[in-house]
Amino acid sequence: MTRAAATTLPWTAAWAIARRDLNRRFRGLRLLLVCLFLGVGALAAIGSLTGAIQSELTGRGKEILGGDLEIGLWQRAPTVQELMVMNGYGIVSGGQRMQATASAGDMAAPIELKAVDGNWPMFGTFTLKDGTRAGAPPAGKAWLAQGAAERLGIGPGDSFQLGTLTLEVGGIIGEEPDRLSEGFALGPTVIVAMDVPERAGLVAPGAMYQGKYRIAFDRDYDAEAVSKKIEELFPSAGFEFRTSDRASPGADRFVSRMGEFLVLVGLAALVIAGIGIGGGVSSYLQARRTSIATLKILGATSRDIARIYALQLGAAALAGALAGLVAGVALTPLLSWALGSLLPVRTGLVIDPAALARAAGFGLLVALIFAAPPLDKARRFPAMALMRERVSPLARQWRGLLLPVGGGLVAIAALALVGTPQPSLSAMFMGGAAALLAVLALLGWAIRRAAERAPRPRNPLLRNALANLHRPGAQTGALVTALGFGLSAFVLLAGVQTSLDANIQRSVPQMAPDYFVLDIPRGRIDEFEALVRKESPKAEIRAVPTLRGKILAYGPKGHMIRVADLKEIPEGAWPLRGERGLTYSDSVPEGNSLTSGKWWPRDYAGEPLVSVDQELADALDLKIGDYLSVGLLGVERSARISSFRRIDWDSMGFNYVLVFSPNAIADAPHNLAATIDLPDGVPTGPLLRQMVRAFPSSSVIEVGQVLSEARAILGQVGAAILAAASVAVLAGLAVLLGAIAAARASRLYDNVILRVLGASRRQLLLLQLAEYGLLALVLAGVALVLGSALAWLVIAQLFEFDWLPGWPRILAVLGAGLALVLGFALGGSLPLLRARPAQVLREL
Amino acid sequence: MQILKGIDLTVEAGQTVALLGPSGSGKSSLMAVLSGLERAGGGSLSVAGQDFAAMDEDALAAARRGRIGIVLQAFHLLPTMTAQENVATPMELAGEGDAWPRAAAELEAVGLGHRLTHYPAQLSGGEQQRVAIARATASRPMLIFADEPTGNLDGATGKDIIELLFARRAETGATLVIITHDPSLAERCGRIVTLGDGRIVSDTAAQ
Repeated sequence: MTRAAATTLPWTAAWAIARRDLNRRFRGLRLLLVCLFLGVGALAAIGSLTGAIQSELTGRGKEILGGDLEIGLWQRAPTVQELMVMNGYGIVSGGQRMQATASAGDMAAPIELKAVDGNWPMFGTFTLKDGTRAGAPPAGKAWLAQGAAERLGIGPGDSFQLGTLTLEVGGIIGEEPDRLSEGFALGPTVIVAMDVPERAGLVAPGAMYQGKYRIAFDRDYDAEAVSKKIEELFPSAGFEFRTSDRASPGADRFVSRMGEFLVLVGLAALVIAGIGIGGGVSSYLQARRTSIATLKILGATSRDIARIYALQLGAAALAGALAGLVAGVALTPLLSWALGSLLPVRTGLVIDPAALARAAGFGLLVALIFAAPPLDKARRFPAMALMRERVSPLARQWRGLLLPVGGGLVAIAALALVGTPQPSLSAMFMGGAAALLAVLALLGWAIRRAAERAPRPRNPLLRNALANLHRPGAQTGALVTALGFGLSAFVLLAGVQTSLDANIQRSVPQMAPDYFVLDIPRGRIDEFEALVRKESPKAEIRAVPTLRGKILAYGPKGHMIRVADLKEIPEGAWPLRGERGLTYSDSVPEGNSLTSGKWWPRDYAGEPLVSVDQELADALDLKIGDYLSVGLLGVERSARISSFRRIDWDSMGFNYVLVFSPNAIADAPHNLAATIDLPDGVPTGPLLRQMVRAFPSSSVIEVGQVLSEARAILGQVGAAILAAASVAVLAGLAVLLGAIAAARASRLYDNVILRVLGASRRQLLLLQLAEYGLLALVLAGVALVLGSALAWLVIAQLFEFDWLPGWPRILAVLGAGLALVLGFALGGSLPLLRARPAQVLREL
Repeated sequence: MQILKGIDLTVEAGQTVALLGPSGSGKSSLMAVLSGLERAGGGSLSVAGQDFAAMDEDALAAARRGRIGIVLQAFHLLPTMTAQENVATPMELAGEGDAWPRAAAELEAVGLGHRLTHYPAQLSGGEQQRVAIARATASRPMLIFADEPTGNLDGATGKDIIELLFARRAETGATLVIITHDPSLAERCGRIVTLGDGRIVSDTAAQ
């Protein structure tokens, strides 16, 4: 057979025809536009924001860290040898961080004390509020954060008490270059000179403080290699290393976690948008059938048709993607504002060409994949259709789709996997989305088959409703996919929101103590208790010994795994990161329960023992009888694991991952920490002042304030998650409405004929209700399972919150979604029902 | 389903042929096959020296370009294009460079010079069919097919359209094949072929 020998229409001529046929307002292509706009907009905003934050974090890494490398150590200063090694790599700036309490007159405030030496800051500039550039405060002076000055009711020139020392406020802190790397503070910062903590009696042996030594390299060293070298030289020192490319691990982790979520939201929006694009393009081309057939009569080949309509769709896709990019860029500052203090850096208007190109690339590829099947179908639409009013739908031919769909999928996978910082997550998501689409397609097929095989109802309307689900050209497949995704998005959002709300509620423990007091000297605990009881006789006091140490090795004796040798910290083994609080006890701590093994007897004097948190034991695959060693004040100590415990982390008390037998660590210099529970209604001010006066070297943390800060942060995280997830829901909504509109258009003919045959409007409405009701009910079940599963993934797996869904609210939201579907389906047909059949018949 | 059975028909260049017959007799199917809109399931078909039976749909579309003009009962103008754009489109599809001014000239020739920028919805039925005739004849085709061109028009307008169609044919010297139920229209053609149940029942020269 002779194949098309004639040349295909040149692109310019195809564009001339396409442009003419393309309504300037993109009528019929608006669903494609909206879907691409939402999908690309979401990805552009997300990509720009996370990109800007990450580049800011890495670009300003040295400034944020305050050096090329930071070495942290607990409860001690570095030894001369350690310092000598550090000095070998460049200039060293030392400092200390600790909780303390400052007081002025009757006022007292828990503060975060930051002692710095003359070399601070080595990178960036420190300025006071009045604009003065400064370094470490001169003798007898301190720089106070605004919050500290306010709590103490003092200003520059006034004096205040810190431990046993009286200091003068030298100025109020303005810009602190290394603020971000200091992490979460339990009080406002007070900066003092390096010798102040010791002179104020705050660093007596056993006191809880962290030394921070930062090195500004004098040569182009590799910070990772230097850390490794120092670690090898001092394996028991318990050093914590941080390099400038990971200056702010907390912020980094949050940004990457949030980034992961946002990438998922963007991809979800795109998949949903893809479904909308498929539906939108399909109904657009369906409406263009006559034009396509006419063009074919006029001599257009199927390739010409493909070119003309590909150009139209491409133009609409480009317009949608461009609008999405503009919106994405405009949205970035808004997103940054919404996330507020959660973000480590402020970002204004960001234009990140790479992120924008990726977003547009994703959008256009998704458009290609989802628009190719209907376009291929339209291409093959026969010219004869003009002479026969209704033709049966064309069978799908997969061969022609292999290149656009297959190629598009490969390109999108490559783009998602190569460019993202979380390729495995993206891969998992895309696999999941593909599986989901397959499940929904299968469900659509099953519903069609079931409707086909079901016995024919006697009621003509019901019969028609059932027939509408399986007749040739039925939109069941598209409706199932769109409704399935749309309703799932509703459930997802409700699940996420109710869980977040419940988590925020739960973050306020019912039994939280009023104060944590750190660094109570061991010998003065009775005196401390007496002081508290004098102020409030019914106060509950719980004191535990507290030390800090780093887990250095674990496993069976002789085959212990050194933490330093691990390439990656095992999943769930977070206590291996950095130093942890350690304690010892004669009895199982309150709120803990043994899960296996035995507790040591009182006054136990045998081999040193340790009891380990069950979750850590599971993460590291520890067995009773294995050994664990910790670095404590520069000395490595080992203990045999004698039991595992379940810890109730929700009780806001002292919860230690490792509890030792007293003979294992009690000889190390240490202090006690205590929680104080005051009866309701007891004013806390007087007790705070008394404690500061009697125990100047102890520091007090007000739990209420910390909790309200934590709650505020959690609330912000929640708002951000919801705001981002709304994008997916918006896309879902657009798709839902688009699918219903498309299905409705194909019903026009039937409805008119039924009207001609004498069906009343009420009967037609009932017909729609029966059809959509049937579909919506089945899909509501699917959406409930699917949406909850996704919400669980987001809440429990990604953000590691507790999965606490509020089912009544979720069901109510799902009900609202169903009502929306039915309302739109019915409401949309009203004008159709009002129309006079004769008039509509003429226009058909 | 076999619609056309044992059809043996030769139409000479420049002839005017009316296809008559009751509904379902195969008129539209015969026209679809002759104009290359549909492939014949069997047999042989040569149009303007080309073997239509051996061509696939795209080859047929290409073969129609510039050689075959089609006028349909329901006009089938492209609703999103103006009158001039509608007439220019087949010439553009055939890669003819001067499509635009020629389209204007053709519309002028069918009496619609003042309607160039109007959309089909802004034109009356008669005007729409005039545009369709201009579109079908603009590229001076060798063959013009018309499927009940007056079926959607009132008597007076229908008459005007037939006059126009025959005038255009006379100007171009093309072969004209008209499907019609109207015996008076058939009488204007040089030859009347009557179909019944997919076969040629009679093939006579007009009086």
